[in-house]
Amino acid sequence: MGALVALAGVTVLPFLELRANRLVPGVAYPMMAAGSWAYLVWLLVAVGFLSAVLPTAKVRAAASTASGYGLIAATAWAVGAATRSLLVSQQPAMRVSLGAGVWVLLAGTAILGFSGGEERAGTLLRRTVPIVLAVAAVAAAFVWGGLDRISLAREFEVRASSFWSLLGGHLAMSGSGLGLGLLFGVPLGLWATRNRGVRSVVLGVTGVIQTVPSLALLGLLIAPLAALSRAVPVLRAIGVQGIGNAPGLIALTLYALLPIVRNTYVGLSEVDPAVIDAGRGMGMSSWQLLWRVEFPLALPLIVEGVRTASVLLIGIATLTVFAGARNLGNLIFEGLGQFAPDLILLGALPVIALAVIADVALSALGRALTPEGVRA
Amino acid sequence: MIRLEDVTRRYGDKTAVDSLSLEVAEGEVCVLIGPSGCGKTTTLRMINRLIEPTSGHIFVGDRDILSMPAEELRRGLGYVIQSIGLFPHLDVAANICVVPRLLGWEKQRMAERVDELLALVGLDPAAYRHKYPRQLSGGEAQRVGVARALAADPPVLLMDEPFGAVDPLNRERLQAEFARIQRELKKTVIFVTHDIDEAIRLADKVAIMRDGKLQQFNTPEEVLNHPANKFVHDFVGADRALKRLVRVRVADVMRSPVTVLADADPISLQEAAGRRRFAYVVQPDGRLLGWLDTRSLAEGTRPAAAMTQMDVAEASVRPDDSLRDALSRMLGLGFRSIAVTDKNDVLLGEVTFAAVEDVMTEGDEHVSNQPTEAPE
Repeated sequence: MGALVALAGVTVLPFLELRANRLVPGVAYPMMAAGSWAYLVWLLVAVGFLSAVLPTAKVRAAASTASGYGLIAATAWAVGAATRSLLVSQQPAMRVSLGAGVWVLLAGTAILGFSGGEERAGTLLRRTVPIVLAVAAVAAAFVWGGLDRISLAREFEVRASSFWSLLGGHLAMSGSGLGLGLLFGVPLGLWATRNRGVRSVVLGVTGVIQTVPSLALLGLLIAPLAALSRAVPVLRAIGVQGIGNAPGLIALTLYALLPIVRNTYVGLSEVDPAVIDAGRGMGMSSWQLLWRVEFPLALPLIVEGVRTASVLLIGIATLTVFAGARNLGNLIFEGLGQFAPDLILLGALPVIALAVIADVALSALGRALTPEGVRA
Repeated sequence: MIRLEDVTRRYGDKTAVDSLSLEVAEGEVCVLIGPSGCGKTTTLRMINRLIEPTSGHIFVGDRDILSMPAEELRRGLGYVIQSIGLFPHLDVAANICVVPRLLGWEKQRMAERVDELLALVGLDPAAYRHKYPRQLSGGEAQRVGVARALAADPPVLLMDEPFGAVDPLNRERLQAEFARIQRELKKTVIFVTHDIDEAIRLADKVAIMRDGKLQQFNTPEEVLNHPANKFVHDFVGADRALKRLVRVRVADVMRSPVTVLADADPISLQEAAGRRRFAYVVQPDGRLLGWLDTRSLAEGTRPAAAMTQMDVAEASVRPDDSLRDALSRMLGLGFRSIAVTDKNDVLLGEVTFAAVEDVMTEGDEHVSNQPTEAPE
């Protein structure tokens, strides 16, 4: 399956696009522009096909892993080599962008890389070695293979200084939103389990917030915040204004509430009533019961809520630039404004990467925090 | 040890427990029994203040329980419930140590206590210490539940239908083990059940309740022989003579049997069986092999050749079994007597049908008494 997708990427679709400058449409080039690297890509695609028909599950897994991660490395070098040959004796404004073929090829490698997953479950070392090798090969292609000359890398060079501060702004914005969401969400979820009236209000309100479109919510926050800032000098002094980080941060906090509140509520209320009765009957105080029994049992679900919230927030944070925040969203919307596809990618790719990292890391944290006795 | 004075609990218009007074002496098992909704569980839960009485006083030891903090009170009262309520995220050892931990015991002392208690309830400490509740069967889990209630050696045990959720076979076994543990530990026990057989088997005193009112509070024998009113009479059932058998252990009525050694000489055989017609055939170490009819013996045969072999597990009872078990075994096999063996099949004695009859007729002079009408 993965190999078929990869094959489509290297045959039917254009591999690279050569453009006169960063904005105009370009001319498509096939992969053969990469010269000898192209043959390695072909070879690895062939290994990918082989991985479906090899005799034992173990060998199949090894082959699909090798072809999946190998293709990532080989593609990086092929793109680098092709870029070099296309840019020889051309004007400096010329750009080489990744064509649809590269993206499809990479999608194929992802399928190949993941499909070996179940058999490769082994040790952490075994799972990370191919990833580390592939990342190293891609990094090497940047330094020595000419990958640094593709358009995406050139966009980065131009904005190297602001890129890091925008990335930092993105992390700070979504991280603070998540932190505030936790700070308010967990107590609200707990309160909802203790009081029926609170439950319907809290779950209802957080649910309604979730249905408000993000841009509308930001817009709705700007005017009241501006008024508040004018009326209360202390708030203005700590940076609360109608335009800036404040509306974005408030919006993100509100969006984080629903998954965190709901999962806290569900996690706590799913604790077996017999367990609570036994705990109380043995002389545990409400606090002891909460800390030693209810929270440990609800924790995996709470972390699951945090995971959902974090992925949501990393995405929505891009929109807060409309209310004056500065983060990776700036690159995306600037790119959209200039019709510069590679600038959009420069903003979007790190956002996707952050979301995936948060997702994987929090899933792992959730598993680690699941008490051994209740693991499935 | 435990004294209830005029205890009443109302829920709105409904009176769950109506001016109940009863006193349980130290080391006694008091079984609260009655149909659903009779107030027996409410009564139990008022003793550890999971429910507060509307009026009246409850004393544990000499202290009015309302004068002490609820948590402190509960830590001194072992608590076992039907749904067990083991903490799923803690292993067996940690579950047992919930109350010791609340009381601040040292690690070493807790570890020793765990092994001691697991052995007491019939679970191998090495095998069960680090299991999690989900790895236990229902019967094993309730054994751990009992061990947990006993952990800090409380003088009082409160048990709310503790064996109600296990299958009948395991229930009998758990009841027998509870009776054995109680003989050893002499706790003051309040035991709620709706199973009259269980009550008669385990109780020193039975408190029969209906609509929140105490109907009769006396020994099982008295309740069987002199039901206080029609309700008690009907509740106890028509098979009171049979129920009386539940109260008597095999060990109390067994007599020593006639035995012959399997490899004994044929001549000494006639002498040994001189007084009784049937004799048990045993090995030199006392293990039971079968039985023989001395009158049908041909001269010169050895016991081993002449005997009828027995499936010892099927055709014998244990000293701790009740006379009802013995009777039902006899009826099932069509015998007029049954062998009593220990767990290694060593013959300890025998119980005859005549002995069972004696116990059954002991209360006969009362059975003819017309039960008085219940005051409505």
